[in-house]
This record gives sequence, structure tokens and C-alpha cells, in this order.
Amino acid sequence: MAQAAPQSADAFDEAFLKKLEYLYIVSQKIAAGKHKAKRKMRLVGSGIDFADHRQYSPGDDVRNLDWRVYNRTEKLFLKLYEEEEDLHIYFLVDTSRSMHLGAPNKWNRARQVAAALAYIGLSNLDRVSVVPFASKITDRMAPTRGRAQIFKVFDFLDRAQPGEQTTLKSAFKTFVSQNKRAGLAVVISDFYDPEGFEEGLNILRYHRFEPMVIQLFDERELSFDLQGDVELIDCETGEPRQITVTPAMMREYTRVFEEFCQELETYCTQRQILYFRSPIQQSFEDLVLKIFRAGGFLK
Amino acid sequence: MQLTGLPIETVGWLAAAAALLITVLYVLKLRKRKVEIPFSPLWGRVVTAQKDRTDWWRRLQRFLSWLIHIVIAALLAFAMLGPHFDDEVLDERHILILLDNSASMGATDVTGGHSRFDVARDKAREVLDTVGGNDRVMVALFSNRVQPLGPFVDDPSLVEASLRDLQVTANPVDLGQALDFAVDSLRDRQPAELVIITDGAGYDPDYPPDVDFGEEVTVRHLAIGERSENLAITAFNARRYPSNRMDHELFVEVRSFFDRPVDATLELSADGRLIDTQSLSLGAREIHRQFYPGQATAGERLEARVRLNTPDARDVFPLDDRAYAVIPPPSRLSVQLVSEGNLFIEGPLLLNNHVDLERLDPDGYDPNAEFDVTIFDRVAPEPPATGHLLYLNPPEEGSPFEITGLEDSPIVTDVRREHPLMRWVTLADLNIGETNTFALAVDDTPVVAAFGQPIIVARDDGERRKVGIGFDLRNSDFPLRVGFPIFVLNVLDFFAADDVEMARSYATGQTWAIPVARDADTAEMIDPDGQRHRAAIQRDAALFYGEKPGFYHLETNAGDITIAANMANPEESDITPHILEFESAQVDHQIDDLLFDRRQIWIWLLFAALALLLVEWFTYNRRWTV
Repeated sequence: MAQAAPQSADAFDEAFLKKLEYLYIVSQKIAAGKHKAKRKMRLVGSGIDFADHRQYSPGDDVRNLDWRVYNRTEKLFLKLYEEEEDLHIYFLVDTSRSMHLGAPNKWNRARQVAAALAYIGLSNLDRVSVVPFASKITDRMAPTRGRAQIFKVFDFLDRAQPGEQTTLKSAFKTFVSQNKRAGLAVVISDFYDPEGFEEGLNILRYHRFEPMVIQLFDERELSFDLQGDVELIDCETGEPRQITVTPAMMREYTRVFEEFCQELETYCTQRQILYFRSPIQQSFEDLVLKIFRAGGFLK
Repeated sequence: MQLTGLPIETVGWLAAAAALLITVLYVLKLRKRKVEIPFSPLWGRVVTAQKDRTDWWRRLQRFLSWLIHIVIAALLAFAMLGPHFDDEVLDERHILILLDNSASMGATDVTGGHSRFDVARDKAREVLDTVGGNDRVMVALFSNRVQPLGPFVDDPSLVEASLRDLQVTANPVDLGQALDFAVDSLRDRQPAELVIITDGAGYDPDYPPDVDFGEEVTVRHLAIGERSENLAITAFNARRYPSNRMDHELFVEVRSFFDRPVDATLELSADGRLIDTQSLSLGAREIHRQFYPGQATAGERLEARVRLNTPDARDVFPLDDRAYAVIPPPSRLSVQLVSEGNLFIEGPLLLNNHVDLERLDPDGYDPNAEFDVTIFDRVAPEPPATGHLLYLNPPEEGSPFEITGLEDSPIVTDVRREHPLMRWVTLADLNIGETNTFALAVDDTPVVAAFGQPIIVARDDGERRKVGIGFDLRNSDFPLRVGFPIFVLNVLDFFAADDVEMARSYATGQTWAIPVARDADTAEMIDPDGQRHRAAIQRDAALFYGEKPGFYHLETNAGDITIAANMANPEESDITPHILEFESAQVDHQIDDLLFDRRQIWIWLLFAALALLLVEWFTYNRRWTV
């Protein structure tokens, strides 16, 4: 695999801005009829209008359990209410070394996606904050509002420094402690956390953030042009692993990767967390449109 | 199984070291290529899954790979031992190949039109190509002499190179000499193989000799030759008539070795000009002798040639179809006769056309005058400085022959008939009134004696020759006999060293002693092919070993001489192949069990190791054994 590539200074050029404008128009069509600055959050118990049920998971407030449904189905469901307020959108962007591996790399795609969604959010007068993370959070862009602030987002993303190892748990712990105002937490990462992604995402959920997961991956990781005896070095931990790569092992690796992605998707689905997976070989507009159509980001 | 390679202890240590090295290399981790990946726990899952699924198979794969390398090392070690099958002959042997290159080996009767020698040489190569690695081999040519091509060597290629340029000679064969050489060569070199490659033709009828080859010497004879049809000139001589130096007689002997009648033509030419042709009808194995009397030739090169005319017959041995002779020009002698008058001695000299005679009274004799021959009749003055001397009844004073006494009416009892002076001369019932008897000096030869008292003595001191006759010719009936003129001629020929019996003709395969002038000190021989060779001069003769029939020209600083050389050997012309048998040894007539069959197992072991290596390489790259 290739080494980490330098960030592109032209990632947010004029053409990118035109694409953002196009995406914004599209988003307006998708969310037609909604009021500005009146985005609804799926917050349990803080609103009046019933919105939906979801399955109970440990940590949820038992006061919101729908006992009628329990009587009928003997399953625990929570009642969800819609709460109307200014939406805070936090973009938690992974800056670990695995995001910078290869050229093009996942970091570039993560910046683009974050910038595009931030533009939509700023245009909708939502409060947008960008928080890069790896094993910890070293910097953050304070919440801001208004389309004109998009350049501030660009500048911040350009200045973001690569981190080391992905540790969602510690990073998100820091995040929730620093941001008391709950909101939409868009996590853009490859989720290559040796400790697992569950605890990190749970921290967000437990602190009333509405997580939205965007998993980026590089298709080249699944098609190694590699055979024979090699020593695999984890780019984040530096852990060596001696292995003899065979075609069968490559097939097994693909299967394991699919399994890993499926675990993440299943986790998110079960917790009604919006989940999107996209290879960096796919254009970012497609990913953004896919997010729009899913309806979780645009209310 | 026989092992001829490295000692088994050495190979054992090497194999153990190789096995240990292979094992260590398998135990040691290879330095592998480093590849950076984004998330190693995923690969950890893969490895864990693979390990759970194929752990036992992977162990077996590693073991198989290790085992293949161990087997390769074992094969190489076994190859180093130099294994051979039990039925192969591996003992160190000395192989002596006696290759006949005598004249009969030039016959072209073998299949394919090659000569017997070509076939014999191929047989020798065949033996050389198949001798074993431990064998020592030597090749020796033999005809009437033995010529080894080198010592015993372990590399047959050294001998093969020298085989290429060999040629058949016109020499007769002497098997006894070759066998003596073989016995001497193989003594203390046993076990040994003696391979005699010959046609068996031309051997001594007394053959086989009782030769003690030794207990561990296997004698083999590879017979060459298929037929015996040959028409040969086995003798060609020219001799001068004693009475006429210009007159010669030629003799030709033609032999047919066909087992049926054949027709032939005998041609005689002088200096390239055909002078006689005669048709011959020869019966089976017939010998035809032809005389050509009264040939008034001198100084000419004579050549006799026989041609086969029978259409369906083929002469397979052309070497003896031609014979050569040279009649030397007669020499003229200047003779002075110092005598008061003696017609008995003067008469034969005057009749000889090749004598320039000058008669002198003793008073007119000048010792400083130079003559080839000086005859003193009843006088013995101071001899001349040069020339040969004949004393007739010399007085005691001045005689070079010491006179011991005077015999009346001596009876000739001892005549040395082989002496040149007495050729064609008989002295039976010779009447002599009285004669002096001589005392013999160191260089003297008593030619005629009466009861042990020499009365005719020949002396040759290396510089000049002298003949002493003890009696007065006028006081005997010797001048009245028909042999007296011949005796005078014999005396002159003795002085001139002129052999009138045969013209100068030499047999091939011998060292010729060719008389040359006394003052000759350098000689160069031009052979029939025009090649020049230096010839040594010893005791007034040029020594040269000739192997080709034909005319030779000897150049010396004192004059040139032309001679002829012929094979002229009826035994060698009889090219009928014979099988050799010895009383003292069993003779094997094939070499199948002699051949060292080079079943080099080590080569196949190397191939097997290489094949295994390829298999290992293939399976490794296909990830079957990793």
C-alpha cells in the first residue's frame, strides 16, 4: 500500500463550490415545505409530537417505554417524540493514519463529505461544528451558522493535522464532555478502532447525540496485488504480523471485511443510527445524494 | 551396490551438515517484505480463521517442504558416493591396446571400403570411449617394431587425440616383439586387459609363442579383415652380370593369393617408360617367377607393376602391386700395374671396359701418383698415399703382409666362400708351385689358406683396403682357370665397395645402412612423397629408417644416391585374416564384457534432485507447501 499522501490544497476549489451549490438545490427539493431553523431532532421525551417507536436498548430512559405495546407484543419499545429546535450538527471526522493511507485516501473524501454536509447545514441555518479526532480530540471548530461560514469550514478542514490511532471511545468521551448541547453527530471514519466502534457510538447515544455513521473504505484494501511471505505492519499501531498471503487468504480477508462492515451496519440499524458506507472510489456527490435521499440528514 | 565416489564418512558428514542447515533454515524466520496496512485486526481474524481451519494441513505442508529438501540433500549425498550397480566392473585395470599398423592392415577388404587399419582404429576408439574412470590405458602401434603412443594414462582423450593422425605402414609384422612389449608393460600392473587389434596376417609360422602374460591378464584379440584376395609382387631384384658391368638381369616374383585362377598383366618400366608387358594366367595360390635377362640398363629407376584383369576379382591390397629397383651406374676405376710384365694379370684388366689401366715398370713408379687401385706384381715399393692396393707375391721387404714362410705345392684347404673376393670362384684342385704364407694382422681376413696358413689375405683398416696373394701367378694354373677373370673383377669390386650381386634395394620397416663416399659427413633423404629427412652418417653409411615403398634419393655433400625400397614380404602380402590363439592364455575374441558401461547413477540422482527442486519451487509458488 502507498504511504500517506499530502492533503490537496485544491480540495475546495471553485468546482467543488459549484457542486455544493448543486447539492444544496437538490436538498431543498428533497426537504421542500420545511421551515428554516426548525429542524426536528429525534429526542426522546423532550417533545410533544409522537414520532416513532424504537427497540429498547440498555441505557434508555425507562420512562419512555410504551407499555401498551409491551402488553401486546411483550417486547420493549421506546416512544420517540420530535423536538423542534435549532439543530447542532457536529462533524466528527477521523484523522487517524489509516485515513491518510494511499492516494487518493479516505481523509480527502472525508473532508469533502464533511464540507458538503456542512454547507447544507450552514445553508439551513443549523449550527455546524467540525471536530477532528483520532485517539483524542486536539482541536475543534466552534459551532457556527450561515452559508458564509463555509470557508471557515474549508479552512479548518485544510488545517486539520493527521492523528495517530483511532480510538473512538476516548475521543468521543472528550467530545461529549466538551459539547453539552446535543445534536446530530455525523461520524465520518473507517472505524478501524482496535477496541471496537460500539462503545464510542454508545457514548454519543448516551449523551443524547443523534449519531449518523458514514463509513469510508478503500476498495484497494480488498484487492491486494500481493502474494507470498510478507510482514504486515499496522499503520496506526505499528504492530507487525507475519503472514503468507495466498489467494484463499485474500478471499478470506474480503469476507472478514464484509463481516466487519456488516457488524457496523447491523449495530447502527438496530439502534436506528443512520448508516452509510461508501468506497472512496465512488464520487462524493453520489454519497451525499444517497444521504439526502435516506432522509436522516434533511428534515 | 558399489560406491566409487567420495568416502562414505565424508559424504555422511556433508549430508548431516546439509540436513542440519536445511532444518535450521526452516526453523529460522525469513526476512519478509514489509507492507503497511490500515487495520491489522482484520488480518488477525483471517489468520485465526485460516489457522483453525487448516492448521493440521499447514503443518503437513511445512513438513512436506522440509521433507522434499531433506530428500534432495540425501540424493545429492548419494550421488557424491558415486554409486554403481553390482554387475559393473569397477576395479582399477590397466588396459593395453596393441594396434597393428603393419602393411597388411592397409587392405581394403572390410565392409564399407575402409582399410583394416581404419576399422582397427575405430575399435580402439570404441574401447577407449568405454573404459572406466579407474582404468589406465595405453595404446601401442606394432608392426616389426613397437611404438607406444604414450604411457598408461587415466584420461582416454589424451590417447584418442593421437590416434587420429596414425597411418598404416609398409612394414612387416613381428608379433613376438609386440607380445614381449605387452608382457613387460603389464608386469606388476595386474589385473590387466591386453587387447590386440590385428588381422592376424603375416605372422611367423612358428607362432603361437608360449608367452607368460600373467595370471590376471585377460588377452583379447579383435580380428579385422574379411578376405584374402591379393595379387602381389613379392620379389623384384636386379643383378649385374659379373662379366659385364653394363649388363643386368631382372627377377620378378608374382604371387596370387586368390583361391581361384586369375588373369593379370605384369608391366616393367624404366624411368617411367614402359619397356615390357606380359600377360599372366595364375592358378590358385600360384607363384610366378619371371626373369628378364640381358637388360642393358644402368642408372635407371625400374618399376614392376602387376594388374589384375579378371573382371569379377578385386585386389584388396594395392600396396604390394608395385615394386621398385635401381641399377646404379657402374664406377670406372683408374688402375696402375707396377710390374716388370705379367700378361696374366694385365689381360683381364685390359678387357674390362670400366678400368683405365696404366702399366709401369718398377723403376718408373711414382708413389705420389693418385690411382684408385695400385697393383704391385712381385714388388713392394713405398705404397702410394691414396688408393687400394693389390700385392701379387710381394717380397718380404716392403710387404705390408708379414710373410711367415714358404710352402711348396700347397694344397688349398680353406676358402672363405662368403667373402666378396671368392664370389662365383672355385679353387678346387688349384695347382701352385710355391707360395708365401702370411701372418694375420688385426684387420686381416684369411680368404684362402693351406692347412691354416693364409695365402690370400684381405685387409680393411677402415681407410683403405689391401689384398695380398702369396704366390706368383705364373707359377700356378690359377690364371688359366675360368674363375680368374672373375676373381680379378671381385678384387676390383671389393676395392670399389661395389656389390655386384644385387642392385641397391632395401626392405621397408628396417634401418637402412646406405654406403656413401668416405668424405661424406652430411646426408638428407628425400622419401617417395618428396619429404626431406635428415639421415645420420656412421662408418661410411647413411642410416635411415624407411617405411614406404618407392624411390628414395639420398643427398650428401659428396654426391647423391638413389635407392629403391620394397615391402617384398610374401608373408605380409598374404593378408588372409587369422585368429590368434595362445598356448599359455585363453584368448577372448570380443570386448562386450570389457566395456565399462557408464551407467552413471549419480547423473540420474542429480536429475531427480533437480526434478524435486522444480516440484518444490512450483508448489511453493502455487502456495501449496507454504
